[in-house]
Amino acid sequence: MAHPFPTRGARTAALVALTVAAATACGGGDAPEAEPTLRVALLTSGPVSDAGWYAGAYEGLMRIEQQFGAQVSHQQTATPAEFDEAFIAYATSGYDLIFAHGNEYQDAAIRAGERFPELTIVVSGGGRVSGNVAPLIFRLEEGSYLAGMAAAAMTESGIVGMVGGVEIPPARGTFVAFEAGARSVDPDIEVLEVFTGDWNDVAAAKEATVAQLSRGADVVIHNLDAASFAVFQAVREARAAGRTTWAVGMNSDQNDVAPDVIIGSAVIRIADAFVETVRMWQAGEVGGAAIYASTRQDVIDFVFNPELLDRVPPEIVQRVSEARDMIRAGTLDVPRIEFVEGEAGVR
Amino acid sequence: MVDGGAGGRFARTRWEPVAISLGAIGLTGLVGAVLLLAGGFDPLAAAAAMVRGSVGSWDVFVSITLVRSVPLILTGLAVALAFRAGVWNIGAEGQLYAGAVAAAGVGLAGGGLPAVLLVPAVLCAALAAGAAWAVLPMLMRVRLGVGEVITTILMNFVGIHMAAYMVHGPLQESRGVFPQTDAIAEAARLPPLLPGTRLHVGFAVAALLALGMTVFLHRSRAGFRIRAVGASPEAAHVSGRIDARRVLVGCFLVSGAVAGLAGGVEVAGVTHALYEDLSPGWGYTAIAVALLAGLEPLGVLVTGLLFGALQAGAGAMQRDAGIPAAWVGVVEALVILAVLGLDRLRRTGGRVLPGIRIGGGGGA
Repeated sequence: MAHPFPTRGARTAALVALTVAAATACGGGDAPEAEPTLRVALLTSGPVSDAGWYAGAYEGLMRIEQQFGAQVSHQQTATPAEFDEAFIAYATSGYDLIFAHGNEYQDAAIRAGERFPELTIVVSGGGRVSGNVAPLIFRLEEGSYLAGMAAAAMTESGIVGMVGGVEIPPARGTFVAFEAGARSVDPDIEVLEVFTGDWNDVAAAKEATVAQLSRGADVVIHNLDAASFAVFQAVREARAAGRTTWAVGMNSDQNDVAPDVIIGSAVIRIADAFVETVRMWQAGEVGGAAIYASTRQDVIDFVFNPELLDRVPPEIVQRVSEARDMIRAGTLDVPRIEFVEGEAGVR
Repeated sequence: MVDGGAGGRFARTRWEPVAISLGAIGLTGLVGAVLLLAGGFDPLAAAAAMVRGSVGSWDVFVSITLVRSVPLILTGLAVALAFRAGVWNIGAEGQLYAGAVAAAGVGLAGGGLPAVLLVPAVLCAALAAGAAWAVLPMLMRVRLGVGEVITTILMNFVGIHMAAYMVHGPLQESRGVFPQTDAIAEAARLPPLLPGTRLHVGFAVAALLALGMTVFLHRSRAGFRIRAVGASPEAAHVSGRIDARRVLVGCFLVSGAVAGLAGGVEVAGVTHALYEDLSPGWGYTAIAVALLAGLEPLGVLVTGLLFGALQAGAGAMQRDAGIPAAWVGVVEALVILAVLGLDRLRRTGGRVLPGIRIGGGGGA
């Protein structure tokens, strides 16, 4: 079905051609004629300007475009109904691989996977598996454990805080590991924990951070998306009020975001993991099982902020580096919370 | 936003709402294009994506636009009925969530029942919960004279957070891992209206409700009473024949029930489970849907479809034209502003068609 919109310029013409392709592709789910270009899409539930979880995914998409010459597209979606729509729209436009960046997509991904068997969906942090739906699990606990060690070395009050978004297993896992890392340095350390219930609610994150700071915490780690800025801001304001306070970045290297207060970041090199996943997909290895990304592939790490490195005791830098090697070698067990179908202890 | 004109003054002629819709589309297109150009985006590509993403193919139209219009039509009907009676129910969002929670609860609990019993039970639960969510603001209005604009808005927050509590607490999925419920029983799900598509019978329910409401409003005594009370409660009362309070109570509760039905239909027809972020604000968009339709139920059917297409197209603007979600949100908001502005203009200045006497009135 051609659409009635007037065409002008090559770009519009190309779009129309795409429409026709999409229209012929829909209905039976059969792909249009041999299409050599790889088509990769990304879905996020928050803005890719968060300098964290979503930004890393978008960077991955851009690298997929460059390295594989892929045609790429991104959509920010808000509701479960929109998840379904986006999968349908991409599948009927001939997309091959969709990165759905968050566990919230898992049910819609399974539904779309059944409806479009040609499609492959990778769900970041997802818990459900099918023949063409694979969770991509980041072992961020490993980076968070190292962050806990650093936090324990920096605190003067002996109290550290953790501000989370939605209380889901991957997020709880990072905090459990953070606490374990902190205790490995200081067994008596006190750890405060709060979940605001929203990854992107700046006001709630700020309030929660201020509350923890006023309870004596002087190092605060977060597991948030766009709301992480509020944590850094609250820490900075406490600093302006005369206290020595620090923040720890999470999800991506946030050291540049607030270089005056962030001592280091527990990073997921999401882009690396995405590029590697595309390679695996081309080799026919994606689907049917979870994909794990950890310190072993250098996807997960803890990175000290170079600008504040002179404030960190050198022996803790050394200890963090040793712990990283032990985690890689499998001789140091970082606590985690399992949640993927088929994992030990998960139904 | 909702001051001034009561029900009777809307929809003086049949074609006026259509003209306003077209005016709003034209105006928005113009302003949207300028904004997109200013942001460095190609407005033609955006428009092409919008058309393609909403009506570009049969599959897209049925499985995305029509599906998306169902909650907009239902909440739009809820708002239109309330506004018609002079009840400013801004609480459709909370009532929708109440209906969704009730529907999910019944759909999860009623696993053993056959579909012929369970589907009606799920929808009835949604209706009842939506009405129940309107009881408190209704009582405060009728007994204490507290304006329902504020109370219904506040009840929205309660409803949204109640749903969040449910998926983190009593109704959380059996593994206790993710903030959502288990999938409701197969027998609780709305059957497809067109096999092989996402379109469910909720669309037929919404369309029939719009038809029924039109007949009710214009052909029945009760409908006449509603229109009379909406036009002027005092006059209706002085005439000695209309119990304005009874009409008000009835419309408030039915409006809540229909908004609750929207939530129940969404859970039973689309998501098959309860999630926190079920609605992108349908209960608020519903106000624009209802006003653009001139508070006419059949008009709501059309404007609900229009907004469904708009939202479906907005997704495509991101996907195919690379326009960020924030810009798409701005363009969407512009449509609502254009609608409300033109509606205001029509009531104050425009004699024949909106846009003719722009100099005359309509100053905010």
